[in-house]
Amino acid sequence: MSEERSGQQVLRAPFWQRLQSVDRRILYSLIFASVIIPVLWPLHLPTLVTPESRAFFNAVDSLPSGSVVLFPFDFWPSTLPETEPMAIAALRHCFRKNLRVVGLSNVGMGGPSIADRLLDSIGAEFHKSYGADYVNLGYKANYSAVMLGMGSRIADIFPADHRGTRLEDIPLMRQVPNYDSVKFVLIISDNAMTDYWVALVNARYGLPMVAGVTAIMAPKMLSYMHSRQLMGLLGGMKGAAEYEQLIGRPDKASRGMDAQSLIHFLIIVFIVLGNAGYFMSRRHRTRLGQV
Amino acid sequence: MIDWTSHPFFALLPTAFFTLAIFSFLYKDNPMFKLAEHVFAGLSAGYYFGLIYHSVIRQQVWVPLTQDGHWSVIIPGALGLLMFARFFPRIGWTTRLPLAFVIGSTAGIMFIQQLHGMVLPQVGRTVLPLDSVRNILIIAGVLTTLIYFYFSKPHAGPLGWVASAGIGFIMIAFGAHFGYTVMARVSLLIGRVQFLLVDWLGLAR
Repeated sequence: MSEERSGQQVLRAPFWQRLQSVDRRILYSLIFASVIIPVLWPLHLPTLVTPESRAFFNAVDSLPSGSVVLFPFDFWPSTLPETEPMAIAALRHCFRKNLRVVGLSNVGMGGPSIADRLLDSIGAEFHKSYGADYVNLGYKANYSAVMLGMGSRIADIFPADHRGTRLEDIPLMRQVPNYDSVKFVLIISDNAMTDYWVALVNARYGLPMVAGVTAIMAPKMLSYMHSRQLMGLLGGMKGAAEYEQLIGRPDKASRGMDAQSLIHFLIIVFIVLGNAGYFMSRRHRTRLGQV
Repeated sequence: MIDWTSHPFFALLPTAFFTLAIFSFLYKDNPMFKLAEHVFAGLSAGYYFGLIYHSVIRQQVWVPLTQDGHWSVIIPGALGLLMFARFFPRIGWTTRLPLAFVIGSTAGIMFIQQLHGMVLPQVGRTVLPLDSVRNILIIAGVLTTLIYFYFSKPHAGPLGWVASAGIGFIMIAFGAHFGYTVMARVSLLIGRVQFLLVDWLGLAR
């Protein structure tokens, strides 16, 4: 009887109060719907380019043809939706500019395999050949030893590439003994490796660098932009979409931005309604003299 | 004869299965989720073992030693082996040798890294002329936040007001971080949905 009464009370609870106890499965369903709909039927919402992304593009674009770019693929497979579009767009930009790419990874779990897959597939798009135009050094444990050691002699850290070919047998690597031959560092990262590249390599060797990072990391990385330790920055899927736009090849990130905008709108509505519900309920309780 | 493995639906079926198995946790914990979790843990361990064996043990120790005659790699190799001495109580203490090396060298590298790579450049770029709203905001943000973390005096009176302003700046920073975090998490969901609908089922291009 009492359960029945309390059930009736819940049903009779004011609208504002009910807003604060919406079943999470309803919220999940709405979120899923706002992802699925724009993926199936794109809305083509505009994405504005930020100064940080433009600076990233300009930094790569200003490199002379033939320059060697060190390209750390420092990300885990778990962040591929954010980092992979950045890496693809950056590789397309590099290969289109005839830059030579030296890939490596400080993330053991999947990093070297992702680097291999992306370098080969984007390299093939531009008819680039392994060993002459690009190479994948793979992974070595202990990032600080890797970053600092490569400044003296890359072959000491990577005696062979990811495929097991010795560096002296790779034409590109014969011309790149250490950082002196590297013009630029293009980091794609989802972890603290960007900090280490900045603090160990930029600070010590003065190598100019840009970074594409996950959205979570972007606010922190802005301080490196401000201090000019980074020349450009891509933040999350939006940064990737901006870069795709700048190189004139909209791809996965651009397609994902419709869903991104829709979900953000939905979350803003949730936050506004939740807060409005909280304040209205509090006012209601105050009127009843319960607070 | 049809090559089933080359068809995207069948080739990507295991990936799709594990994605859906992990997503099923959103409803509630279940055996499919547990299976996906355990397979992930096992695969990760195996992958790491293979990677470290080929890229470190083989490339940096075995080949230089046996093919190039670089006897000096015996020293780091032996130090590495000593890490396993903890499994033998009589010589367990020798584990401290490689640990001491790692701790000492890491501390030295990190100290220089933090000072030259972080503190000095960041402090240097905070010394700005007060000629724009942006610069004034940066300086005010840094100073008030630093004062908020000064705990040797009670935060009362003028010090309290400044510390409150510091909290305001910190809250704005938290808000920016939270907003970006939402964007990052949503991106991961979009990536998986794109995989399921576009790459796997081919429902869109």
